[in-house]
Amino acid sequence: MLRRFEVHRATSVEEAVDLRVRYGDDAAVYAGGTELLLAMKLGIARWAHLIDVKPIRELSRVAVARDTVRIGATVTHWDLERHPDVTRVLPALARLEASVANVRVRAAGTLAGNIAFAEPHADPPALLVALGARVVARGRRGERTLPLEEFVTGMYQTALGGDEILTAVEVPVPAPDARAAYVKFQVLERPSVGVAIVAKVNGASFAGPPAVVVGAVDELPRRVDTAALAGASLADARVADALAASARAAVSPVADLAGSEEYKRHLVGVFARRALTALAAG
Amino acid sequence: MPAREDGDPVERTRFRVAGTEARRADGVAKVTGAARFTVDLSVPGMAHAVMVRSTRAHARILGIEREAAERMPGVLAVLAGADLVAAGLHPYYGHVVLDHPALAVGSVRYHGEPVALVVAETKLQAAEAADLVEVRYEDLPAVIDADEALRPGAPILHHERGQRVGDEGMDQGEGALEGNVCAIARVQWGDVDAAFAKAHLVVEGEYRYPMLYGYAMEPYNALAFFDQGDLVVYSTAQHVYMVRRDLARMFDLPLARVRVSAPYVGGGYGTKSYTKIEGACAMAAHLTGRAVKLDLSVEEAMLTTRSDSSHIRCRSAFDRDGLLLAREFDIVLNSGAYTDNSPLVNSKTANRCFGPYRIPSLRVVSRSVFTNTVPASSLRGFGAPQGNIGGELQMDEAAEKLGIDPVELRLRNLAGPGEAILPGKRPLDADLREDLRCLVASLEWPGTGGVSVGFGVSASDAGAYPTSTAAVRIHADDSATLFTGSTELGQGSRTVLCQIVAEELGLSLERVAIVGGDTGVVPYERTTGASRTTTVTGRAVQEACRDARRRVRELAAQNEKVDVAAVEDAPAGVRVKDRERSYGEVIEGWFGAGGEVLGHGSVRRGEGFAQMPPFWEIGCSGVRLSVDRETGVARVEKLVTVGDVGFAINPALVHGQDLGAATMGMGAALREELVYEGEQLVNPNVVDYRVPRFSDQPPEIDLMLAERHDGAGPFGAKGAGEGAGNTIGSSVAAAIGRAIGVFPHELPATPERVWRLLRERDERARR
Ligand SMILES: Cc1cc2nc3c(=O)[nH]c(=O)nc-3n(C[C@H](O)[C@H](O)[C@H](O)COP(=O)(O)OP(=O)(O)OC[C@H]3O[C@@H](n4cnc5c(N)ncnc54)[C@H](O)[C@@H]3O)c2cc1C
Repeated sequence: MLRRFEVHRATSVEEAVDLRVRYGDDAAVYAGGTELLLAMKLGIARWAHLIDVKPIRELSRVAVARDTVRIGATVTHWDLERHPDVTRVLPALARLEASVANVRVRAAGTLAGNIAFAEPHADPPALLVALGARVVARGRRGERTLPLEEFVTGMYQTALGGDEILTAVEVPVPAPDARAAYVKFQVLERPSVGVAIVAKVNGASFAGPPAVVVGAVDELPRRVDTAALAGASLADARVADALAASARAAVSPVADLAGSEEYKRHLVGVFARRALTALAAG
Repeated sequence: MPAREDGDPVERTRFRVAGTEARRADGVAKVTGAARFTVDLSVPGMAHAVMVRSTRAHARILGIEREAAERMPGVLAVLAGADLVAAGLHPYYGHVVLDHPALAVGSVRYHGEPVALVVAETKLQAAEAADLVEVRYEDLPAVIDADEALRPGAPILHHERGQRVGDEGMDQGEGALEGNVCAIARVQWGDVDAAFAKAHLVVEGEYRYPMLYGYAMEPYNALAFFDQGDLVVYSTAQHVYMVRRDLARMFDLPLARVRVSAPYVGGGYGTKSYTKIEGACAMAAHLTGRAVKLDLSVEEAMLTTRSDSSHIRCRSAFDRDGLLLAREFDIVLNSGAYTDNSPLVNSKTANRCFGPYRIPSLRVVSRSVFTNTVPASSLRGFGAPQGNIGGELQMDEAAEKLGIDPVELRLRNLAGPGEAILPGKRPLDADLREDLRCLVASLEWPGTGGVSVGFGVSASDAGAYPTSTAAVRIHADDSATLFTGSTELGQGSRTVLCQIVAEELGLSLERVAIVGGDTGVVPYERTTGASRTTTVTGRAVQEACRDARRRVRELAAQNEKVDVAAVEDAPAGVRVKDRERSYGEVIEGWFGAGGEVLGHGSVRRGEGFAQMPPFWEIGCSGVRLSVDRETGVARVEKLVTVGDVGFAINPALVHGQDLGAATMGMGAALREELVYEGEQLVNPNVVDYRVPRFSDQPPEIDLMLAERHDGAGPFGAKGAGEGAGNTIGSSVAAAIGRAIGVFPHELPATPERVWRLLRERDERARR
């Protein structure tokens, strides 16, 4: 069961940053709490102070500019799956969000919380890396923006500073001729393999190499080497073979209750093909 | 969801209330949240207890440092097993063997075992103090796997065995209980070796059924206090009278001075059979002089009770025509650290594994084995699914080898109605051949295209020991109250028992009330389990109604000054001197003012239940499924169950039971398994242990009823609740086997296991 803790309801990012500085390792940032409170209930983690960022108005917005979609840190999966601008500009992300967890987790859990927790068995990171997403963090020395790929550094590890708050996730608006798809395999509560593909398609061929990222299976999302696929036809069986082989080679699967390393590596190949099929289908 | 009533329509119209889908007595209360469960109860001055659990699988307790915890605000006491002994209490409980301590005494036998109990004014204070309790251990070698626990030199869990206290319904079977053997069950007849020697075909294999947690919404909890020296315990117990007996022993109290009450229980499935945490909670109340509440989390419940897993080695001999010549089973159950109910599960596994077939020669040995794991006890099906996976799958494997259709193979071997499947036991009170034909018709056997079909049958010696009593009060306004010791676990027993009263007394359901599950108030009931309530309790209820009617006739005779023989039953009263009198008229006429009539009914191992089992619970279900050959994912497309229940007193409730049992079966067949890595469970929470969700339900479900009025229960009813799940494991395995060409022998058939089978088969084909 939960132990005693104090919740500090921050109303501005500055206040949240001050609280982080004041309480240091005794405090955790608290968004939807779907990971945090579960871990605290199970006794895996205990914090005396929680810094609730939900009251911070500026973090709850989704803003679509000409070339970026900026998703505030307290925007939930549920918000994203039905947000009119997100479904229009980033339909693959909206679909992915609708497949995260269950409705209770989606209604409370935030995208930023998913990223900040850096639990490898997650859906959004693979697609966001493939889309070239960046995260925005603010701390004592101001704001910085860094690619998601650099932000997540390991299992449950990120580049977030001890004084920093994640304020937003920025996703570049894809080019008009770009397509994106995400497919996943899941037997337990969380995904065990996810493959994202983002590509510019010219007729039935790739214009340039597609961005393919494998998530959930390894400690980090892994980019797949696709240089050889530039200009290749989506319908060519050899393309699927090459992509599957390249995806399998890109990962070091972590064995767990959902499967062994060997099985997961096999699945990575299967789902790389399925991602390609999904992309080709539009 | 299509529901077919296959019962005889003429038979059905004989009744007014029985046979109707009466609304649940507890439905509105549960849907609106008004229903009160044990966890909702509180009494003034109630303190809260939190368990400190072992971090070792097997160790001697060297010392428990509790001063730091005792100094925490609000803490009333920090209790350990030794304190219970010092206080003159008997810390051990068990309905078969007294070996399960309320709190560990001297040593711990599994990771997660309760070692100490912190009692404080609030639960949070108790939990915070519990964090400060330090237990010093000296590690002992541990054994997790049951086969390893049987090897010579394996660490022994119980050097001294607890006292056997089981009665006729509960024993540990024959044979010497040496080493880690908790119980042995044998079933044997004929000349097995000779039969195998002359067989045309012998199918042989090893099969495994997983260790499961029977997830229920309400985890174990209890509230205990003493009232003028009487012990009062509210708890989530299925069998309040069994818990009463354990508590009376632990406190040296007469049964009359222990009161155990289970208000609504949020799901049991056998996991709440028998005593769990009531002893620890009551001892805390005794030693602190306070009312104490002990309320476990789901994660703690997973460390309290699980089901026995099975490892089966078996072989079946057939002649050229597919007739069974002999079967032989050697079964090992992993039963965990304490005896609990495993001896019964073990004997049921032995009785149920070989199936309802004509088997000329049979040899079954099943051993329940202690290991340093969470203690195992009952779970829905109770040995049947654990054994069925071997017995039924071998029928399918034999059919394939013999080139005989597996439906036909079963039809040739199935015992018919009235035939004995266990010598000396009640003959089969069901028509399994007809049931099977209904089943495979709905499954569209043999399946087409990408869809394969699997099915199975089973017969379980259900009903437990048939001791049951009930009381019915008829009030002066022509309403009635039923008193029953049966517990409402969500299965709908209150509804069905009220229907029986309404039917017997000629009252409308609205005029029947029920009081249940409180040993201080209601008459004795042995258990709420083994699918027995409708059949066995229902008969006691019927008897109580008849006794009440008899009393009313006597009063009417005295009122009218006639011989009692001149008084007849009327639909809702009596007929005397050519006039109908309501119950109320008779009662008030006799008393002058007010009054009531009390009827008592009992059933025992005699009369209709002289021959055991009280009834055979039939399992007859199957699936249509498809397999994704790339990932190994098996998807159930259609579930079909045939509820051979004699007569469905409430068809909607039977459907609910059949679907529920089959759903739990599908969980075990495809996903669920408690996994030990080293000496610890790696998935003792419901995020990592995946119970079925609504979205896992197959798109098509057909729940059929076979009603032949062939049961020993009221109106020809037989129990339901477990049967539909018993054959799901083997059905899923058979369907997967037909889809991929190899029969999985180990459940759950996880995607990876299926993928490996496919790959091995492909590799063999290439060679
Ligand atoms: C049962 C279950 C099933 C799930 N299934 C899936 C699934 O299928 N796919 C999937 O992708 N995910 C899944 N998840 C994970 C889910 O997406 C995350 O739980 C959720 O998005 C986390 O967001 P939150 O707001 O609840 O984070 P919280 O629990 O509030 O926080 C999580 C972590 O991030 C930190 N944090 C949160 N916000 C910030 C911030 N603004 N700045 C800095 N640090 C911050 C917290 O301190 C904490 O360490 C599942 C989770 C559960 C419990």
